[in-house]
Amino acid sequence: MAELLASGGTLEMVRAVLDNGADAVYVGARGWSRRRAQYEMGDDEILESARYARSLGKVLRVAFNTLPASQEIPLFLAKAEKFFSAGIRDFILTDAGAMAALSHRFPGVQIHASVGCTIINVEDALFYKEAGATQIVAECRMGLEEMRRLKEEAGVGLEVLVHATTCYTLLGRCTMSSYTRQEWRIDDEGKNHFLGSPNRGGLCYRVCLTEWDQVGEDGEPEARGVILPNTAYFLVDDIPALIDMDVDTIKIQGREYSVPLVSEMVRFYRELIDAYVKDRRAFRLERWKERMAGIICARDAERREKTAGLISESLTASPL
Amino acid sequence: MELIATVASPRELAGTDLGPYDSVCLGSPYCRRVEGNFAEDVALLHEAVSALRKMGKKTYVTTPAAPRGRDLPRVELMIDAAEMEGVDAIEVHNMGVLRMLREKRSPLPAHMGAFANVYTHLTAQVMKEYGAVRVRPNAEVSLKEMEIVAREGGVEVETLVHGKIPLGVTDKCSLLTESEETDPKCPSACREEHWLTTRQWVLKTIGKGVLSGRDMCMLEHLPVLVSAGFFVFKIEGLYETAAYRSDIGRVYREALDLAASGAEYMVRPAWADAVKRHSREGLCNGYYFGKTGRLYVGTVLQEAKPKV
Repeated sequence: MAELLASGGTLEMVRAVLDNGADAVYVGARGWSRRRAQYEMGDDEILESARYARSLGKVLRVAFNTLPASQEIPLFLAKAEKFFSAGIRDFILTDAGAMAALSHRFPGVQIHASVGCTIINVEDALFYKEAGATQIVAECRMGLEEMRRLKEEAGVGLEVLVHATTCYTLLGRCTMSSYTRQEWRIDDEGKNHFLGSPNRGGLCYRVCLTEWDQVGEDGEPEARGVILPNTAYFLVDDIPALIDMDVDTIKIQGREYSVPLVSEMVRFYRELIDAYVKDRRAFRLERWKERMAGIICARDAERREKTAGLISESLTASPL
Repeated sequence: MELIATVASPRELAGTDLGPYDSVCLGSPYCRRVEGNFAEDVALLHEAVSALRKMGKKTYVTTPAAPRGRDLPRVELMIDAAEMEGVDAIEVHNMGVLRMLREKRSPLPAHMGAFANVYTHLTAQVMKEYGAVRVRPNAEVSLKEMEIVAREGGVEVETLVHGKIPLGVTDKCSLLTESEETDPKCPSACREEHWLTTRQWVLKTIGKGVLSGRDMCMLEHLPVLVSAGFFVFKIEGLYETAAYRSDIGRVYREALDLAASGAEYMVRPAWADAVKRHSREGLCNGYYFGKTGRLYVGTVLQEAKPKV
């Protein structure tokens, strides 16, 4: 049955999502995942999270899913080795070369190819499988038909994000944020946090979500207040189909949201999945929709506030 | 040293002086519906490759940056056609297309494009096993990092020296209100210029792609590139005018010749005039020096435009 994977932005969130029914939790190694440092964890917190997950018979997955600099690869392998020595076997990566290096160094580790890999067709999935991935995350707009093909033909685990955002551009193929502001900041361990680059440092200023004016060649306005669509979604209708096609992981993103909200999302999906699996024929979606609407409302409020903060932060002077 | 032009269609080819260039990359990776897209039309590709060969140019053909599963059979047909034409390489942005080349045992070498997300030498090594001989690192990769990719990755590194930086790609056109099959604005909408402006920022939109508003310009810094060992240079000319491709190409041909000659290098006033004349929103150096992408580092061509 599909594993329910949820976000662990803090130790508190790790405990909360596992206590509320997640089968697995993912955390970001500080400086190495697609979120900024405040939603990532130091090594000791990761090891403590792993112990907590293990005590419940559950899984902790460590995200190293940014695209690093070549000279940072030794740092990555050293950190991964520290976690491996402590019994952690599950990792999330984006860089194909880093995947190959990790799977050669530690045969048997589970490597999930991150959403940042932008896997949009079966051949993409096979490429990452050959690079060492044991499971791939489907690009957020992939249709059910392509997922079914992938599940049948690729012979690699399939992970689907049920709470995430579909960026205006294809996620993982966008540098609009770092074009407006990027700051290199190197931490004590020597890792560059690439502030402003979602691909490299995890922090995205979401500039697509500001209001743009579109002008033509002559400078005349063609449209005002254009917002490049970047939508947060909360998938419910497709859950039965995902379970029927035997997807391996159903993932809830949300490290930057509040612990009560993420806990509520986890409870919602846990109960929804369990209800469907218990009696697929009698299952009706309608009764879940009202509860979903409440969660979406709370989520959107938190997201709006965060987006406004990020855009205003992006306007602060960037270092020359 | 190799200077590469990019040309999407017969419309862009017409009037473009390719004299300064050594090679031409044909087609648009952004959208299959670009009118006359060389990467989508076997007959047009044949004509262009024949003509360019007579001119002594190397030819490359690009492939879609974001092909869905349903698009792959069409991509495969184009790869077959490119093989038949004997092009010198295929530009690849999507890992699935790269794998397809290997599975087909295609004799064509692959050049990894701007959207292939090459950030590390290790990834370049993986791609080399699939047939890549050249990579264009992601725009965010700095010059120092690119030197490592070239040295340790065992592949040639292509650098962008001038033009709009590809910042993003998607599969839904933002210039249309209806679907691309039904909207009468397709495929004409992206033939016109459209800019997105807000606060301090300007971007150029081509519907399924977002480009930098400012023009990446490495004219002042060419000796740095040459002495670091880079020798493959691209000018991004898609969605620009023929005059842009022609004039900028001439500037960089002269500049590269000077940089390679060992004589003292300086930006000639005529070059500066040309790059400024063709840049609507000013110049930038992208991410090469580890800065914000829209900033210009240097003194000779410093722009004073507040909107960047």
